[in-house]
Amino acid sequence: MKQKKGDVILRLKDVWKTYRMGEVDVHALRGITVDIMRGDFIAIIGASGSGKSTMMNLIGCLDIPTKGDVFLNSQNISHLSESDLASLRGKTIGFIFQQYNLIHSMTAFENVLLPLEFLEYDDAEAKKQAKEILTLVGLTDKMHHLPSQLSGGQQQRVSIARSLAGDPDIILADEPTGALDSVTGNEVLTMLHKLWKDKKKTIIMVTHDHNIAKYAHTKIELKDGKVMKISEVEK
Amino acid sequence: MRFFKAFKHALSMVMHSKLRSWLTILGIVIGVAAVIAIVSLGQTLQQTMNTQFDALGGDLLTLRAGASQAYGFGGGRPDGSGSTSSSATTKPIVIDKTDIQVLRGIPDILVINTQISGKADLYYVAKKGSGTVTGVDPATWYRISTTKMSDGRMLGPTDSNVIVIGGRIATSFFDTNLGVNQLITINDRLFRIVGILDDSSNSIYMPINTAYEILDDKTKDVYDTVIIKVRYEDQLDATIETITNKLSIKRHVFGKKADFTISSNKERQAQRAEMTSSLTTFLTAIAAVALLVGAVGIANSMFTSVLEKTKEIGIMKAIGARNTDILAMFLMNAGLIGFIGGGLGVIFGIFLSGFLPALMGDTAGMLTRFGSSGIGTSVNTILLTLGLSIILGMLSGAIPAYKASKLRPVDALRYE
Repeated sequence: MKQKKGDVILRLKDVWKTYRMGEVDVHALRGITVDIMRGDFIAIIGASGSGKSTMMNLIGCLDIPTKGDVFLNSQNISHLSESDLASLRGKTIGFIFQQYNLIHSMTAFENVLLPLEFLEYDDAEAKKQAKEILTLVGLTDKMHHLPSQLSGGQQQRVSIARSLAGDPDIILADEPTGALDSVTGNEVLTMLHKLWKDKKKTIIMVTHDHNIAKYAHTKIELKDGKVMKISEVEK
Repeated sequence: MRFFKAFKHALSMVMHSKLRSWLTILGIVIGVAAVIAIVSLGQTLQQTMNTQFDALGGDLLTLRAGASQAYGFGGGRPDGSGSTSSSATTKPIVIDKTDIQVLRGIPDILVINTQISGKADLYYVAKKGSGTVTGVDPATWYRISTTKMSDGRMLGPTDSNVIVIGGRIATSFFDTNLGVNQLITINDRLFRIVGILDDSSNSIYMPINTAYEILDDKTKDVYDTVIIKVRYEDQLDATIETITNKLSIKRHVFGKKADFTISSNKERQAQRAEMTSSLTTFLTAIAAVALLVGAVGIANSMFTSVLEKTKEIGIMKAIGARNTDILAMFLMNAGLIGFIGGGLGVIFGIFLSGFLPALMGDTAGMLTRFGSSGIGTSVNTILLTLGLSIILGMLSGAIPAYKASKLRPVDALRYE
C-alpha cells in the first residue's frame, strides 16, 4: 500500500487486536500497517464492525495492540504503562467524541480547563488559554453555561475547544457529526477543516459516511479489520 | 494534577451528588456525635465523681457491724480480714459503746461520730411524706461533715429538738419551701429547722439521743455506723490495720471471722471510678460501632459514585488524567465526606453531651459543659474524633477509589 513520504507522526506496524468473546477469538484488527503524516487530515472510513473504533482506540493511545507496534512521534506505545499512556494522551492527542462526552457538572469553561489541569498548567495561563479557545470556537458568551444549557452543535464546539486546550499535535474525532443535524454537522466539519488549514493540526476523523470523508485530505478505508485502500480525497 | 485542583474536584463531587453525600454524611454525623457525647459524658462523670469524693474527705472511714458491703473495705483486704459474713452467729452483731471505747484508745483516730438512721414520717402544713432521719453526735458532727451550709447553722452539743435538713427537703419536698426556724413534725414530734445543707439530698440530721427516741427498733448506745476521721490521711491503711486489730481483739473475732466492716472513701472512689471507666468504655464501643456503620456507608456511597461516574472517569482518562489523579480525587471525596460528617458530628455531639446530663437530672450540667472547663477537656476528643473520621472516610473510600483509578479508559468510555 503506497503512502507519500514525509514526517510520520503516527505509525501502525502489523497491528492486531484480538478480543476474546467466550470461547472464540475475534480479530478486530488484522495486521494493519499505516503511516499517518504530520499535518494530514485523514478520514478512516468503514462500515459497522470494520474495526475503525478499535483502530481509533489504538491511535488515541486508549488501548494497546494484542500484537504489532504503534509508534507515536517515533515512540513505541505498545508497552507503555497506563499512567504513561495517560500523560502521552494529554500532551499529544485531543479527542472529539460523537456524543461530545463533556462532564455534565462542569461549565463549558471548566470542561476546557480540565485537560490543562491534568497537564498541571499554571492557573492563570490555563484560564487565559481556555478563554481564547472558547472564543475561537465562537462560544465567548456561553462560557459559563453547563452542557445541558447548550445545543448539540454548541456542545460539540466545547468538545472541539477541549481537544485543542493542551495544543496537541493530533485531533482525533470519532464520528464528530454523528449526533448532529446536517447544517450543524457541516459547521463542525468546516471548523475542523479550518483547524487543519490554519493551525496545521493533524486531524484523524473516524466516520462511516463517505460524504463527510470529503472534508478530509486522505481516506483510509477499512473492511473486516484490514486496510482496503488509502487514497487522496477527490475534491 | 495539583493537590488543590484534585481537592476542588473532590469538593465538586460532594456538592453535585447532594442527597447521597448528605445521607452518607448523616451516617458519620450520628457515629461521631455518639462518640463525642459518650466520651464527654464519661469525662464529666469522672470529674463530678472526683469532685464529690474530694468533698467527702479522703480521711474518713466508715465502720459498720456485720458482713462487708459491696464497696466495703473488708472484701477487698489482701489478707481477707473483715470479709466474713455473720449469718451463722445467734447473737445480733452490733457496734456499741464498748467498741467506741476501744476506738477512743487509738491515737491515730482524730474524731469519732456515732450515727443511727431510719425511716420516719414527716408532716408539714397538712402534707405528709417519708424521709430518712440520721441521728448524729452533735458534738463531733460538724468536724466530719463536708457539706457546706446554705442557711442556718450545724447541730450543736446542747441541741435536742432541732434538725438540719438537706437542700432537696428544703426546696422541693413539700409544696412550700422550708426555711430556718420553721417547724416540721417527724414521727409525731415537733422539730425546729436550724440549718439547711448546701446539697441536693433528702437527708435529715438530728442529735443522736433524740433520734433514739423517735426511731423504732433502735437500742440506746448501739450504732448503725461510726464515722472515723483519721489523724494522718497518708497513713490511712496503717490506721485501718490498727482499728481492725484492736476491734478484732475486743470482739474476739480473728481473720476471716471478723464481724465488722471498715470502708474508706478512697477505696469507694477507686471502685466507682473503675466502674465509670468500664461503663464509658462499653458505651464508647457501642458508639464506635455506629461510627463503623457510617464508614461502611461511605464505602457503599463511594462504590455507587464510581459506578455512576465510570463514563466521566473514562473521559478524564482520555483527556490526560493519570491513575493517581483519579485516585486522589476519589480519596479526597471520601475524606471530605468523613471530614464534613465528623465536623457536624462534633458540633452535634457537643450539644448532645450538654443535654445528656440535663436529661439525667443534672440541670446545671448543660451550663457547665459550655463553661471553659467543660469544653477545654473535650478538645483532645474533638481533634481525635475529627482526625479519625477523615482517616475512616479515606480508608472506606480506598478500595472504591483504587477501583476507579484502575478503570481502563476504553471500557469506561463505553459504559452507559
